[in-house]
Amino acid sequence: MSIAARRGIGVALAVVLVVGIGVAVVWGRNSGEAKPGDLVTVQGIIGSEKKPFFDDPEVAAVLARHGYVVKVRTAGSRQIATSADLSGVDFVFPSSAPAGERIKEVTGRSTSYAPFYSPMAVATFEPIVGLLEAAGIARQDANGQWLFDVGKYLEAVASGTRWNDLPGAATAYNTSRSLLLSSTDIRTSNSAAMYLSIVSYVASGNNIVTTAEQRDAIIDQMSALFLQQGFSASSSEEPFDDYLSQGVGSKPLVMVYEAQFLGQKMDAATSGAITDDMVLMYPTPTVLSKHTLVPLTDAGDEVGRLLAEDPQLQALAAQHGFRTSDTAVFASTLRDHGLDVPPLPVDIVEPPAFESLEVMITAITARYNTAVAPAKPASEPSSPTP
Amino acid sequence: MSPSTVPRAARAVAMMTIVALAALVGCTSSSDNGSQAGSLRILAGSEVKDMVSLLEEASKATGVDVELSYTGSIQGAELVASGGAAGKYDAIWFPNNRYLSLLPGADSQTGESVKIMSSPVVLGLAPIVAARLGWDKQAPTWAQIADAAAAGQFTYGMTNPAASNSGFGALVSVATALSGTGSALTVDDIAPVVPELQKFASAQKLTAGSSGWLADQFVDTPGIDGIVNYESVLLGLKEAGTPLTIVTPSDGVMISDYPLTLLAGADEEHKQAFDALTTWLTGPAIQKRIVEQVHRRPAVAGVDTGTQFGDAVLFETPFPNTIDVANTLVMTYLEAVRSPSQEVFVLDISGSMEGERIEALRQALANLAGADTSTLGGFTKFRSGERVTMLPFSNTPGEETVFDIPAQSEGFDYGQITAYVDNLDTDGGTAVYDTLEKAYGIAKQQRAERPNTYVSVVLMTDGENNRGQSFEEFSAKWAKLDAAGIPTFVILFGDANVEEMAQLAQLTGGQTFDAIGGDLAQAFQDIRGYQ
Repeated sequence: MSIAARRGIGVALAVVLVVGIGVAVVWGRNSGEAKPGDLVTVQGIIGSEKKPFFDDPEVAAVLARHGYVVKVRTAGSRQIATSADLSGVDFVFPSSAPAGERIKEVTGRSTSYAPFYSPMAVATFEPIVGLLEAAGIARQDANGQWLFDVGKYLEAVASGTRWNDLPGAATAYNTSRSLLLSSTDIRTSNSAAMYLSIVSYVASGNNIVTTAEQRDAIIDQMSALFLQQGFSASSSEEPFDDYLSQGVGSKPLVMVYEAQFLGQKMDAATSGAITDDMVLMYPTPTVLSKHTLVPLTDAGDEVGRLLAEDPQLQALAAQHGFRTSDTAVFASTLRDHGLDVPPLPVDIVEPPAFESLEVMITAITARYNTAVAPAKPASEPSSPTP
Repeated sequence: MSPSTVPRAARAVAMMTIVALAALVGCTSSSDNGSQAGSLRILAGSEVKDMVSLLEEASKATGVDVELSYTGSIQGAELVASGGAAGKYDAIWFPNNRYLSLLPGADSQTGESVKIMSSPVVLGLAPIVAARLGWDKQAPTWAQIADAAAAGQFTYGMTNPAASNSGFGALVSVATALSGTGSALTVDDIAPVVPELQKFASAQKLTAGSSGWLADQFVDTPGIDGIVNYESVLLGLKEAGTPLTIVTPSDGVMISDYPLTLLAGADEEHKQAFDALTTWLTGPAIQKRIVEQVHRRPAVAGVDTGTQFGDAVLFETPFPNTIDVANTLVMTYLEAVRSPSQEVFVLDISGSMEGERIEALRQALANLAGADTSTLGGFTKFRSGERVTMLPFSNTPGEETVFDIPAQSEGFDYGQITAYVDNLDTDGGTAVYDTLEKAYGIAKQQRAERPNTYVSVVLMTDGENNRGQSFEEFSAKWAKLDAAGIPTFVILFGDANVEEMAQLAQLTGGQTFDAIGGDLAQAFQDIRGYQ
């Protein structure tokens, strides 16, 4: 199954497996091999970037051997944490530790599993890397890994830099568009919140934002990073797919999960999608997206345990580009696919606490709304007319 | 499939009535082996009509029954966001979902979405003109295009941004580029770019409510140098023998990505049908055929695209992030940028119009005079600088009444239009062609008075011509009327002679609009996209 081409424009709990959720009947859980027909259906709400993993027939086969059919629907991690209807749901699986913590608080659960994680990264192209290097925004470390200097980037954005202001742009990337990183929609998507975690840290003088004073000081700057992008997608798959299929003219710089890039490289069905001129850079600093499964039922708990402990599931997660809790599994999987194993970035910071991030996102959301002129008179449906 | 190979009458604008739906179902085809893998009712934009044959194949290959119904992009978006599409359709397929995504409620109405292909909105120019301007060698910016337009160095056609996605996309690109911010357009950016937008618009000589119809008009109208349209449409024109140089403005174009999108209410069976269909359409072999047959760029990486798309980098224009930016831009364009229009409404008030029919006509025209307060109603309202002429008829042509809307429409009393139509009385027979001849006399005079406007005739009749000259007689004297460039848009209503009306539309370079199912107001709104 291709990693490309799956996404939802409505983060809304849109995928409609909800019907009949109440019938997630536990027929009796046998340990060991399950007989066909004995499978326990488990319902989960997950961040969209993990959908290709759950859609993978091999993943389904391993889970079935343990007696489970896992049905998932996707939602933004913020939505999972704040507004999703959790009735009939066996587990939730947002893409960040803060969202996981929040759900534990709300549901009164004490356990959670963190089967895999992924650093945030910037997907780009050779010519762009060259321009950014000349401008001091990108550099290569001793291992040959490309690093994206977030502080220098924020300075460039603050001074209104256009691509064609950069030395060498006339031949490499000649457009008067603003130098700006593409993310998902901050109002709905976790990867954008991860991006905000990074830039807010740097903008606050390398401090995790905790106070209202810190937030007030940077909110204009943070808002501009999102508002200037214009329309942005609500699922992290979409900008990455645009990056892959439309290329440098559409998405010269896009915030992604490292797993999206690595998983795409390993996906046999789409091998060739990552071309030689595509480059993954690691922001300095970056944050880790710790995919956190919070079980709401015993069956959900068992699925969480399996994802974290079952060697086959761990290997499959690594095949989708996720860094597994056992780092050796991740490394050997990449090597098996002929890939170099990217070292874990050294410059990693913690995201702000859920509430703190939430307050910033709410403030940025308000900027979207104030960008709107006074409301027009209530409109009625345009058609049909009697 | 080239747009110009399809008979015009077959491409009447679809409307969202039951009848139109049934008539225009593009590809309801059961699988040959009789086994069913579910069905999918798709509400689509007319831009995907050229995908019908591939969909038929998809239907056979996957066993999924596909049913397409067409509607305009703004109507479609509003219907979906308001929840009106749920239950009637399982999925939507428009050139893009961006406008829809900006509408409140859209998120909760839409689910999984798979991009099938893409195409940018670009400028196609006659090769000799492109070479003269040097744009075949060096891609111009939108500002350079606007300057050349103002200097009279080329002319072009473009669809109406209020009615068609390609025109809207071009407008967003040009306004964003002219604003010079390098970032997404904001409401405050719009007013300052009006003078530059006017320069760009000054060279526009053709308008249309749909990209396909615009392409036909471009081919049929001598003396127009270029056309703003999807790259796919331009490549189709080239394939059909119209030489064009494709010019991709260097500071940004809008790219449509054709997301096939499941509606939130779809059940498991429809979801499976959706999965089967999208998996088939995004497979490498089919993607390659999409590239070759309908000239769209592939949605998945690794597909060999040959040379037709060239190798220039497509810089994508950022799309506005609020609905207010989008709507303000369109309203500003309609009111302050584009050339005004003049039109003669030829209105049948014969005896058969009595009752519901005349009431429907009154409502339809009242909507255009401001009674429809929806976004689309705002876009289709008679605008500043427009001259609207009403010419009723029954046994003989009636007297014309002219409503001249001033350049600043604020002080204009739209109530006089409503009052006028409220006072129309029905009686007598149907003298279609005598009245049409009179209408053309008026239209030609108005064109002479205001040469820089779009002039058209709208014919609304509910029955066959039974007074005065026949269609054959009218047709025979058409050339002598010297009215080329003034199309007649015909509304099929009641017991209209569909065949003859289609011939009339063809003769005059117009188009038919189907209201036989009853939605007269919709037909009038659709025609506004062409005026």
